[in-house]
Amino acid sequence: MNNMTNNSLNETHLKNSTSDKVMYSETYSVTEKVSASLKRRHRKESRFKAAGLLSVLLGFCLVFILISDITYKALPAFHQHWVKLEISFDPSWLSLKDSGESSLLSANYRKVIKHSLYASFPDVKGRKDKRKLFKLLSSNAEFTLRDKLIADVDLIGTKQPVWIRLDDDVDSYLKDEPEIGAAGARVDSQQAGWIHTLQIQNRIEKRFNIAFFTHGDSREPELAGVKGAFTGTLLTMLVTLLLSFPLGVSAALYLEEFAPKNRWTDIIEVNINNLAAVPSIIFGLLGLAVIINIFGLPRSAPLVGGIVLSLMTLPTIIIASRASIKAVPPSIREAALGIGASKMQTAFGHVLPMAMPGILTGAIIGMAQALGETAPLLMIGMVAFIVDVPTTVTDAATVLPVQIFLWADSPERAFLAKTSAAILVLLSFLLVMNISAAILRKKFEK
Amino acid sequence: MVDMSSAESLLSQDTQINGTVGNCYSNDAKMSMRDVNVYYDQKQAINNVSLDLARHQVTALIGPSGCGKSTFLRCLNRMNDTIPICRVEGGLTLDGSDIYDKNMDPVLLRARVGMVFQKPNPFPKSIYENVAYGPKIHGLSSNKAELDEIVITSLRKAGLFEEVKDRLDAPGTSLSGGQQQRLCIARTIAVSPEVILMDEPASALDPIATAVIEELIDELKEKYTIAIVTHSMQQAARISQTTAYFHMGQLVEMGETSQIFTNPAHKLTENYITGRFG
Repeated sequence: MNNMTNNSLNETHLKNSTSDKVMYSETYSVTEKVSASLKRRHRKESRFKAAGLLSVLLGFCLVFILISDITYKALPAFHQHWVKLEISFDPSWLSLKDSGESSLLSANYRKVIKHSLYASFPDVKGRKDKRKLFKLLSSNAEFTLRDKLIADVDLIGTKQPVWIRLDDDVDSYLKDEPEIGAAGARVDSQQAGWIHTLQIQNRIEKRFNIAFFTHGDSREPELAGVKGAFTGTLLTMLVTLLLSFPLGVSAALYLEEFAPKNRWTDIIEVNINNLAAVPSIIFGLLGLAVIINIFGLPRSAPLVGGIVLSLMTLPTIIIASRASIKAVPPSIREAALGIGASKMQTAFGHVLPMAMPGILTGAIIGMAQALGETAPLLMIGMVAFIVDVPTTVTDAATVLPVQIFLWADSPERAFLAKTSAAILVLLSFLLVMNISAAILRKKFEK
Repeated sequence: MVDMSSAESLLSQDTQINGTVGNCYSNDAKMSMRDVNVYYDQKQAINNVSLDLARHQVTALIGPSGCGKSTFLRCLNRMNDTIPICRVEGGLTLDGSDIYDKNMDPVLLRARVGMVFQKPNPFPKSIYENVAYGPKIHGLSSNKAELDEIVITSLRKAGLFEEVKDRLDAPGTSLSGGQQQRLCIARTIAVSPEVILMDEPASALDPIATAVIEELIDELKEKYTIAIVTHSMQQAARISQTTAYFHMGQLVEMGETSQIFTNPAHKLTENYITGRFG
C-alpha cells in the first residue's frame, strides 16, 4: 500500500520535477510522515478492536455463568416426588351421608389416608410416631383425594391406588440423593427408614412438577406455582403497554411534528427528561395516594400496577420516540407535503412508519424496565400473598419479580429452587417480549 | 476556479442592484409575485422581488449559491410554512387569488402547485404506491381501475413507464437516481397540479439522466406552468423561455432566456453567465 502511493506520487512528480523541485520534496516528506504515523494509527485500531472483542466475550461469559447458575439451581423445582397409597374409599371412614357434592366436599379424607398409611407400616405404634409418618405426605393430599372422588363418584366403597404428593421436606431430601436410610436436614433417621421402605416397594416416583405452572402461590412449597404471578405480570404488562405506547408515541409525535418550538415546549422537554430519572418507588407512592386513595381503584390490582408502571415507562418511550422521529429525513416530510398531504397525513402515513423501528426499541426498553420493577408495586399492595390466579385486571394479583422477592424471603428450603425457577420464567417472558418486538421491527424496516 | 481576490473585486465593482433590470412581468401570468420579502428570523433572505410566472412556460431561476432562489421557489407553494422562523411578506397570487390568504388552505395550494426536490425523495414504498399516494389522499379516483389509469398515465408522462412496467411493486428506492427523480415527477403530476416547482431537479444526476429530465420538462410545459431552479446555465438556456437572475436575495435581471444569455443588461448577470464567479 505504502509503496504504491510512493510510486504513483513519484511518477506524477517526475513530470513536474523540473518546474517544481520544492513541491516534490515537500510532498515526499508528507508521504514519509503519513506512513510513519500510519503504523501507530493501525496499532491503535487493532488495540481498540481487541478491547472491544474482549469486553463482548467477558459480557457473554458473565451472562452464561449467571444463566447456567440459575438454571442449575432451578432444576429441582421442575420435579416433584409422589407416593402411591392404596386408598379405600370407605363411606363410613369418610363419614359420607350421601354422594352429593356438599357432603363430598366436607368428607373426612384425612382418616382414609391415615388408615391406608398405617396399614402400610403396621409396626408403627404410638401417636408421636404416627404423626411423624403422616407428616411425610403433603398437606394437600386430602384435596387430591377429594378432587378424585368428585370427578368419579363411583369410586366410593372401592379400593384404589392413588398417587399423592410427598411433603416438601421429604421431596428436598430425596432430591439431594441421600445415603440409603440416612437422616437429612429436615428428615430424621426414622422417617428416612420409612422412605427407604417405600422406595424398595417402588411406591415413590419422581414426576414432572406441572403444578409449578398451573398453581398460584402457596405456603406449601410443593404446591406453589408461578401461574398467579405470571398471569399478574401478563395483565400488568398489557395495561402498561396499552396505556404507555399509544400515549407515549402520540406525545412524541405531537411534540416533534406539531408543537411550536417555544419556551413551553422546552420546559416540557426538560420535565420529561427529569421524569425518566425519578426513582420508581415515588411512582408507587403516587399510585397509592392518587389512584387508590383518591380515585378508589382496587388495591393489589394489575390495573393500578399497569397505570403506575405506565407513568414510569412513558418518559422512556417518549424520549426514544422523539429521537427516532427526529431521525426521519426531512426530505420525506417535504415529499409528502409537496404533493398536498396534510400535516397529519404526513406524520402518520410517512414519518411514523419510518420511525417505528426506533420507537419499538424504545418501547421494549421501557417495557423491560417495567417488567422487572418491584418497588412501585410494593406500594400499591401487589406484594400480598395471593393464592388465586387473577382473571381480570381488577383482581388482586402479584407479579413475577415480586413473587421472586417473596419466595427468596421464605425459610423453606424448597423455595430456593422455586425462586430460581421463577427467575427463569421471568427471563423467558422478557425473551419472548424482545423477540416479538424484533419481529415487528423487521416488518417495519422492510 | 476563480481566485478569491478577483471574485471579491468583481462583486465590489460598480455592480449595485437598483431594482430589477429587464421585463419581469407577463401578460399571461399564472402566478404573480409582488414585492416579496422573506426573513429567516432577523435575516432577510429575499428582498423586494417581483416577477410573474408565465402560463405554459418554463421560467428558470439562476444565481450563485445562497442567493435565495430556492427560498423564493419554496414560497410559491408555502413550503416555507414548515420552517417556524421563516416569514414571508408581499403579494403572491395564483390565478389572481392570494396564496397567503387566510382562506387559502396550504394543502389545497400544494395540490395545485406541485414540487420536485433537489434530491430524489421517493417514499419507502412501492413504485405504484409512490405515484398513487397523491391521488389517493385527494380522492381523485373513485375505484381501483381509475387509480391504475392515473398511475400509468403519470408514469408514462414522466417517461418512466416503459422501464418499470414489470415491477410496479418494487420499492421506489430500488430505482437508479435518475429513475427516482422521474418517479418523483410522476408522483407530482399524478395529482394534476397547475404549476410545477423544480428545485435543481437534475443536480444529483448524471448527464444522460439529466438529458432525459430536460426533455421531459420541455414536454411538460405544454400542460403545466413550470418554475425551475438550476445551477447549470446550459440547462437554463436549453429548457427555459424566461430566465431570472437572483443575487444576494434580489432579482437582478429577468427577461427572455435568449436575451439574458446573449445580451445581459446588468453587469452582475454578465459576470455570472460568463462564469467569472458563482
